[in-house]
Amino acid sequence: MANESLILNGQYNIGSICTRLQCARGLGERTAMRWVGADRRLSRGWTFADLEAETNRFANALRALGFARGDVFFTFLPKLPEQFIAFLGALKLQLITGTLFANFGEDALLDRLGDAGAKGVITKKSFLKKFVRIRDRLPALRTIILVDADDHLAPDILSLKVLMAGASADFSAPATGPDAPSVLHYTSGSTGKSKGVLHRHGSVLSQSATARDVLGLRGGDVFWCTADQGWVTGTSYGIIGPWSLGVTQVHFGGAYDAAAWFDILEGQKVNVWYSAPTALRMLMREDDALFAEYDLSALRSIFSVGEPLNPEVIRWARGTLGKDVHDTWFQTETGAIMITNRPGLEIRPGSMGKPVAGISAAILDGDGKPVSDGTVGNLCFRPGWPGMFTAYLNHEDVYRQRFRGGFYHSGDTAYRDADGYFWFQGRSDDIINTAGHLVSPFEVESALLEVGEVAEAGVIGAPDDLLFEKVVAFVALRGGQAWSPELELKLRIYVSNKVSTVATPQEIVPVEAIPKNKSGKIMRRVLKARYLGGDCGDLSTLDQD
Amino acid sequence: MAGTQTMERLCGVFRTVFDDDAIVLRAEMTAADVDGWDSLSHVNLVLAVENAFKIRLSTKDIMRCRNVGEFADVIERKSAGSP
Repeated sequence: MANESLILNGQYNIGSICTRLQCARGLGERTAMRWVGADRRLSRGWTFADLEAETNRFANALRALGFARGDVFFTFLPKLPEQFIAFLGALKLQLITGTLFANFGEDALLDRLGDAGAKGVITKKSFLKKFVRIRDRLPALRTIILVDADDHLAPDILSLKVLMAGASADFSAPATGPDAPSVLHYTSGSTGKSKGVLHRHGSVLSQSATARDVLGLRGGDVFWCTADQGWVTGTSYGIIGPWSLGVTQVHFGGAYDAAAWFDILEGQKVNVWYSAPTALRMLMREDDALFAEYDLSALRSIFSVGEPLNPEVIRWARGTLGKDVHDTWFQTETGAIMITNRPGLEIRPGSMGKPVAGISAAILDGDGKPVSDGTVGNLCFRPGWPGMFTAYLNHEDVYRQRFRGGFYHSGDTAYRDADGYFWFQGRSDDIINTAGHLVSPFEVESALLEVGEVAEAGVIGAPDDLLFEKVVAFVALRGGQAWSPELELKLRIYVSNKVSTVATPQEIVPVEAIPKNKSGKIMRRVLKARYLGGDCGDLSTLDQD
Repeated sequence: MAGTQTMERLCGVFRTVFDDDAIVLRAEMTAADVDGWDSLSHVNLVLAVENAFKIRLSTKDIMRCRNVGEFADVIERKSAGSP
């Protein structure tokens, strides 16, 4: 599966492969990125030579500021061209480079920047207020770079414009081996705070091979991945995979807008489009007449990732767009697509598809033994693919727990049918998958408990037609506090601003008490069963006090 | 066009919902101009507006609005008791 031509003279550096290598291949004048602003206008394009020069400047600027190999640097930006420059430039300097979802609140930022010991972050002026509130608890954070400041604001709050103007466009990434740490993404945990999933530069082999063999990208293609760069799809396939192949990418600065999206698909002549089930379900709710206006003849393939893809979406796309939608499955930890209904394979609507070349998947029971076809069990993989994560930062014990009996345990449950297709069934833990974002119930519960009126909180995911799962919170109020629409709104806003908009409870249910076991652990399965009207199961450990 | 008083009250709602005292509303602003204004926080915004102005907004009301000015117009009409 590996694309060995990517690696010249042992150079695995992702930043270098996505820029310098493409120039060396003679693609310097090819457009790497077409930037479409939120106003739907194509504002400008960057060639691979432009990307090489700009990322070199950024790497030089960081080096001049004292950043060195192994330091942790984050981007905290909405969709902006500077995101891509900073990400690849930091990787060129061998910094551990993380991306943060732009709608994270200050609690989420504090957890992630603090855990990683981040030394630097690039952001925008209007986000500074979030850092001001937490800066005293981030002793390692010494530099904040602003993309929209004309001048340095303070010795440690610097203008990107000024830094770039003074930086050379010549930079050679140091020789970088496959195991050198590269990208850092935080992923939700059901029992604790988010954990930093650390990848290696060698992961580019998985991302490149799957971009070529699954997404089917080839020279001259125009590719659009709608994922935000704050999540793994946004880096693995919104940056690394396509650019490692010299493919032109479209990036859009706006949010979901059916007409805008189809303007882009048609106007930019997108050949391959990678999106998410929630977005596709939102499109399904639009009037079909909207789509009839568009010429999608350039569009060869549509792919989906993040949540299970309903058969209805596949049928809608066939009927309305005249296209198939190919599901792909992977997670932050796997770094690259592992299972897919790739083109050329008969699509079985509702299934995840089959493992990609070089990936060995298995369904195991609780004892780590393979189950028979058709039986639900834990979705596991033989370790060793290049994109596999190398650590949960600061949580070596949790990392080791994910590898048992010679397999990586994904935390998802699934079954395999007699023909080798895998069918997603759910999570084996309490993590909520809402619109393709993994939300930790613990993080939402922690935020709710910060509100004075709340004595206890329990959070679950419940099925939702649009979002796949919605966040549902149960709260028990302190004595003397009364439930009201105003309090409900206060809780929603608090979670939105402290954690993230994606973590906002869609429903908040006032209860007398949150069910806990005798150790004080929230029994989310009981909350879920009560909410869904199902059987609560074994209640022998429920604390009745 | 919505009056200054409505815009000022609406600005207060925006500041609460998006936890940003620096927000200054202009009629031509859209979601792209306010950090954190996405489809999920939009629900918070609508609930907060309904609560602050003691009105009920329908999906149709909201879908018609192309910017903050039009949103304020709808609020003003609803507050005055018009459909």
